[in-house]
This record gives sequence, structure tokens and C-alpha cells, in this order.
Amino acid sequence: MTKNSDKASVRVDAAVYSGEALRLAAFVFAGRAGIAVKAAGAGFYAVSFSGAAESFSPGDYFNEALNQQCRLDLAKKNAKAAGMIATRALLSAAGEGKTPKKRA
Amino acid sequence: MAQKKAAERTSRPGAPHLLWRRDGDRCLVTNDSGHYAWLGLRDFEALMSGGLSDKHPLYGDLAAKGFVRDRLDFEGLAARWRSANSHLASGPGLHILVLTLRCNHKCLYCQSAAAGVGARDTDMSPATARKCVDFAFGSPNPNITIEFQGGEPLLNWDALTAAVLHARARAARAGKDLQLALVSNFSLMTVEKARFLMENEVSICTSLDGPADLHNRNRVYSGGDSHAATVKWLRYFQEKYKRQVPEYRTFKPSALLTVSRCSLGRHKEIVDEYVKLGLEDVFVRPLAPIGYARKYWDRIGYTAADFAKFYLDSLDYILKLNRSGVVIREKMSATMLEKVLNFRDPGYLDARCPCGAAIGQIAYNYNGDLYTCDEGRMVGWDGDDAFRIGNVRKDSYRKVLTGGAARACVLASNLESQPDCARCVYRPYCGVCPVYNYETQGSLWGDMAVNDRCALFKGTFGALFGLLKKPANEAVLRKWVQK
Repeated sequence: MTKNSDKASVRVDAAVYSGEALRLAAFVFAGRAGIAVKAAGAGFYAVSFSGAAESFSPGDYFNEALNQQCRLDLAKKNAKAAGMIATRALLSAAGEGKTPKKRA
Repeated sequence: MAQKKAAERTSRPGAPHLLWRRDGDRCLVTNDSGHYAWLGLRDFEALMSGGLSDKHPLYGDLAAKGFVRDRLDFEGLAARWRSANSHLASGPGLHILVLTLRCNHKCLYCQSAAAGVGARDTDMSPATARKCVDFAFGSPNPNITIEFQGGEPLLNWDALTAAVLHARARAARAGKDLQLALVSNFSLMTVEKARFLMENEVSICTSLDGPADLHNRNRVYSGGDSHAATVKWLRYFQEKYKRQVPEYRTFKPSALLTVSRCSLGRHKEIVDEYVKLGLEDVFVRPLAPIGYARKYWDRIGYTAADFAKFYLDSLDYILKLNRSGVVIREKMSATMLEKVLNFRDPGYLDARCPCGAAIGQIAYNYNGDLYTCDEGRMVGWDGDDAFRIGNVRKDSYRKVLTGGAARACVLASNLESQPDCARCVYRPYCGVCPVYNYETQGSLWGDMAVNDRCALFKGTFGALFGLLKKPANEAVLRKWVQK
């Protein structure tokens, strides 16, 4: 980790965090810190923080990045079932499914 | 043609897909078909490794519930899942019309973003109210519920009557089942208004926060005694319910409790007040830090642990009353038990998978703006229209239901794609709220590991499953959801 005045940068292993997870987590903290994610050589990312609010902690950011990574991994695993459920719900709500029954 | 010979197993089959949680020396197991069972650790290990003998006393029960791989009744289990999740094929059934933002109360916790009594520019016009009803009837759902909310909806009587009459006419033409509901503080109720509501079969719900001092402290009303007005009209509608007339059905009135910081520690008095007024349900629900309430959370809010204690104390007291013959249910428990014991959808949109946002309910703001749900509308009041899905005057039904916000909420609240939830033992009965996640954790998906709502739901399910293990409690709880 490198630090100067209000700026800090952390080098992270791409085997743990994908670029997508790091960027998604950055959106979640958009109101609390400026977060930039860049490739830093083969197999690494550099995450830099600037202008962080007092309530912001880089640890929370990396927890969120792990949460996003788990979500992305799970989405791949359960894509078929999740996709069927979501599609069914949306198409039915839009009136493109079978006519549902009246309540008993 | 000769039948293909089944492949021979080279290893013992393990358990089919199931969810589990260890609780002391027992394990709770559940599956997608909503079945559950408690197992000792040795039996659990035997089940998971496929070593549970067919002579084991639990074998038959576990096999019937779909926990034994070689004895799965796929059609039966799938039918059970389909029935409990029939809402996936229904479309929005609940339509919440916010007739005005004006309110004559200044409740400490107001989540509905009320405006002052003079702010007539926040009234829905009768024409817009009719347009909202038309939009609601665009839903493919054959069972339409229209709920009138505010502010205080009785402040906009013209729009209310226009919507009620138009909805009844539309339902008769469309052959749909229509339920109408009014949520009011009763301060502006009159005999004439009550008669109109009963003649048009509008069910009535009010707010009751407990005994007079607590209720009036939470629900500040400069025009008089809020508690007295509530009690007077609750009794009036109860009397009418008892003396049904042949021309129309009169519904039993109900009340909603909002737990503020002032309520903590007063569970007995609150429950006693409900019993005293002849109410058979008390819905102990937490205040959500959404919209207006989020701004004043440090004054009115509490921690998840504080609420959990309040909830469990209330439930304990309610069970004690039940055992002595008093008829009173805790509504949140009854809702969850409907799922756990009967695996039926109780219509509680906040705990569906995916949640009811847009696909189960739509909130209509006074100006015709449409939101995924009432919570989404409150976020909109706070200046963030992330959950706005259209406007009744500008957008078609199809456009609204296929828009970005609706799709995002469905995807984000699908527990199959939620870390933690996907493996949670309570998943068959639970649901997440993208609006809550967005407001408290900054994303629609949230992070369940540190999510207070998730902690509360887990605590509630944990308590209910624990209570179901004790025969005296189980008998009471089963009675709550007997049909």
C-alpha cells in the first residue's frame, strides 16, 4: 500500500478480485470516496482512493469487492435457474404468459 | 426395443440438494420444496453421506419430504414448488394509490413523506385516480387489490370516491376479483364517509401504536387526540362487522403497529391494547431507515438487536396469552409460518423471491408517477428516482413492466443470485428488499453478511423454528395458519 496526503493506492491480486468486482464495489462507494481501478502488470490491479469521507474505510471497500466477486461467481453457477425465474416473472408481469387463475 | 440397463453406482449417493444450519446438537435441513426436518448430528452426517439406512425411523419421513436421493418424487416436489411460487406467473396484484401527500398528523417516524395540510398541489386529481385504476387493470393478474394511502387519503375524498367507483365498474366489466383497502388515521372519518366505504366493500386499516400516551407521542396530531379518534372508529367498524347487512360485506377493521424507539420495552402494554380493542392481529414490524425516516434515524431508530429483543419479547407474551385462551396473532410470525408450515404464499411481497417490486405491486404517486413499490416511492420523495418506473399518463403498461428499474429489482432480489441467501437454510421462505439494500448499503444487491434486515429475518426464522420444537408452542403456532 502506498500513501500520500489524501491519496492511497493498494495493489491487489487478480486471482482473488476480478476487475469487474473491483469496479462494481467502487460504484457502491461512489458517494464516499473517489476510487480508481487500473491494471498493474500481469495478474494485479492497482486500486487508488482519493478524497475519502471520514466514514470511508478501504477495508469496507474490499469486503464489498469480495461480496461482488461471490455474487459474480454465484451468478455463473446459478445462471440457468436464476434466468428462468426472472424471465418468467418479468414476462408474466408484462402480460406475455398464460392467464393466471383467480384467487379461490 | 430393449430397455437400456441402468448404470451401476460406483459410490453411495449423497443427499439431494438441500440447505442446512447447525443449531447446537441438531441440524435444521430444508429444501426448495419448502420441506424441513430436524436431525441429530449423526443422522445428518448419515443423510449427507448417503448412509441413512432405509430401516432408520426417520427414513420414511425424510424420503417423503424429498431429502433422500433415491426416493425423489420429482413431480410431487415440483408441483409443490410451482404452487408456492405461482406469483411468478401472476403479474402485479397490489396497486397502491397515494391520493395525497397531505397529512394532518406529524408522526415522528413518518415513512410516507407527508406534506402539510395546505399543500393541495400534492393531491391526486380524480382524473389521474381513474387513470391509475385503468393502469392497474392492465395487469394480467385476475385478482386486483387497490390500496388507498397518503398522507391521509381522507383529505382527498373526491379522488378516493372517483377511484372506488371507477374500480368497481372496471372490475365488473373485466370480470376480475377486486379488493379495495383504505389506510387512514381516522381523524377525518364521518358516518357518511364510513357508509360509502362499507357500501363499496372497502376494507379499513388504521395505525395503532399502543396505549394512548405512546400512540399520541408517536403520532402527533394538533387537531385533537389521535388515539381517541382511532379507538372510536375501530369500535364503529367492528360493530358494523358484527352486524352484517345483506346488501354488502363489511370487513373487520385492522391496525398496523409501527415500532419506534419510544415503543421499546412496552411490548406488553402494546399487545394488551390490541387485545382490549378486539384486534386479532398485531404486526410487529421494524421501522425501515428509508426516505424520511432515514434522515431522523438517530432520533427514532434502533439497532437490529434492540428490535430483535422487542420482537421476541412480544412474541413470547403473545404466545403466553394464547395459551390462556386469548385470540391474538403476531402477523409477521403468522406470515412466515404460512410459508414454513403450509408452503403457501401469504401475499407478503417483501419476502417473496424475487421480491414484489413492480412484478407484484406498483405504487402510484399523487402526480401519476409509478414506482416499483411504496418504499421506492419514498426514496423518490427524498430526491432519488432510482425506483421510478414511469407515469400513468405517459407510459404504456408494457413499457413500465419491462423497464430498467423493474428488471434490476427482479434480478437483484432473486435469491438464486444472492451470496449467502443461495445457501441459507431459510431461503425457501425468505426474500430480500432491493430498496432497503440500496438505502442502507449503497447497492440493490446489498451485502447480506452485514445486512440488518437479513439479521432480523434470520432471527425471526430462528425463533420460529425453535418454538416449533416445543409442543405447547407448536400447537398455538399451527393454529395461527390453519385454514
